[in-house]
Amino acid sequence: MTKYFGGVAALKDVSFDIPAKQICGFIGPNGAGKTTLFSLITGAIRPSAGKVQFHGKDVTGMDAASLVKKGVARTHQIVRPFKAMTVLENVQLAVHYGRRAVARTHIARDHAMETLKLVGLDRKANTLASAISLGEQKRLEVARALATVPELLLLDEICGGLTGSETHAMMELLHRVREGGTTIMYVEHDMKAIMAVCDRITVLNFGQKLAEGKPEDIQNDKSVIEAYLGKSDFGGKKRA
Amino acid sequence: MKRPSGLGGWLKVILPWLLLAALLLLPVAGPSDNLIRLLFITAVWTTTSLGWNLLGGMAGQVSFGFAVFFGLGAYTTALLMHAGHSPYFGFAGGAAIAMLASYFIGLPTFRLRGPYFVIATIGVTEAVRVIMNNLDVTGGASGYRITEDKPFSALEHYYTAIAAAALAVLVSTFIANSKFGLALRAIKQDEDAAADLGVNPYTSKLWVHAIAAGLTGIAGGIYARRAAFFYPGDVFAFQTGISILLMPVIGGIGTVWGAVLGGVIFGTVEEELVVYFPNLHLLIYGSLLIAIILLEPDGLLGLLRRLFRLLRRKRGDPSSPDVDQVLWGRGRVEGREL
Repeated sequence: MTKYFGGVAALKDVSFDIPAKQICGFIGPNGAGKTTLFSLITGAIRPSAGKVQFHGKDVTGMDAASLVKKGVARTHQIVRPFKAMTVLENVQLAVHYGRRAVARTHIARDHAMETLKLVGLDRKANTLASAISLGEQKRLEVARALATVPELLLLDEICGGLTGSETHAMMELLHRVREGGTTIMYVEHDMKAIMAVCDRITVLNFGQKLAEGKPEDIQNDKSVIEAYLGKSDFGGKKRA
Repeated sequence: MKRPSGLGGWLKVILPWLLLAALLLLPVAGPSDNLIRLLFITAVWTTTSLGWNLLGGMAGQVSFGFAVFFGLGAYTTALLMHAGHSPYFGFAGGAAIAMLASYFIGLPTFRLRGPYFVIATIGVTEAVRVIMNNLDVTGGASGYRITEDKPFSALEHYYTAIAAAALAVLVSTFIANSKFGLALRAIKQDEDAAADLGVNPYTSKLWVHAIAAGLTGIAGGIYARRAAFFYPGDVFAFQTGISILLMPVIGGIGTVWGAVLGGVIFGTVEEELVVYFPNLHLLIYGSLLIAIILLEPDGLLGLLRRLFRLLRRKRGDPSSPDVDQVLWGRGRVEGREL
């Protein structure tokens, strides 16, 4: 898949398969093309060349709402809660319009409440989304995406700005989601988080695929260490 | 719908029905012709106010173009009556034509966002008015006259208008409590985020536009039947579109009863002020509007709510928020959070 913005190749001939029911991590320095990749998959932008296939069907450039109905949901790096709605209503909307398309309001509310319990936000259900903390808004973002009952879930930096314990809780949540049979594509800057949770990792650099493999292989890959982490020790301060 | 809780909750359920009963029984008390006429026009405007509020208040798509639906309702009703159909069939036809028009207007304009959408709706209104001014079937700019065989009955007009307003309240309340209403509120706040959760903003807007247009079309038909004479510079006027937009803004945008309140106030102001201050009524109305937008963006309903909370506070109700918050509000309008 290739995407040019003007003359710049944000992504160049990047190609990969996402095996079902795994957590696939995507890492790379800023500007490597991770978010572009997500936007291409979710139809926010169209690729200059190449195709996106889901279950063998071409879904290139399909609009976000239709993709959700097919089972592809995403979260945003910068959270976008509906601030004038309660936390519960935010999730309830996703239950109504997600893959299951629950019509009855009280059933949708129950489903939404279960999802909120899963991410640990049930006690904030009736709070306005504008009145919860950033960490809680990040969890709400995940809860909304989960509430659409996706087969493929794209998570963009859900741990940015979270505390250590919050990140830990999020990782546990991802494990549980995968056990529920959902495939996850996961972009994150937090190395610890991504190494701990992913089954496979793809490394992007300057819009190209640099390496692909299991977390431990990626950690030992020389080109990755040089391109991404420079000469510093792994796990130390990285380029933010 | 949630079960009502407490005295306030029950009042909210009962008051609308009491209001409706009072309006239906009013003619028994022998009111003046003037009052019946005033209530008629108020009910007509309330219907349009509620219609506009669905699109503009709930879904956040500010349209200046509702005069198109009002006018189409008026002319369709008139033409159908001329062809020998019952006026009620005419109202239904007016609603259908207005809905159809809303679809074709919405197709291109809902691709636009924010101010571009607003400007497009202004353009559409003007275009339709000019076309109607030059259309021979409808008598062009010189207007159209409805003639009925049976004698004029102020009460029949009154009851149709009340029925239309009640229908608009029912439809609005139903939508506000439905999943569709939730989607509309989401679209108002962030279209793209709504799409990420599976809502199709484009088709949702087309649907709510059609419902809003249908209600406005009915109101147009009812207005036209009583007026018996109307012309494009009246029903299709840009000013009519603005009036329809201003009512829910005055009363309380995005809320069902705010839109009703706005319609009632506009109807009264329009009818009464024009009698006492024939030259100044628009100035007074405009000043009132500016004051409301500046001081209370949530409209008069928002103001009432705050007063009510303030009173409870004075009585020492611990569950009410502190005075500062009551006075200055919090998160009154999206994007204007304090």
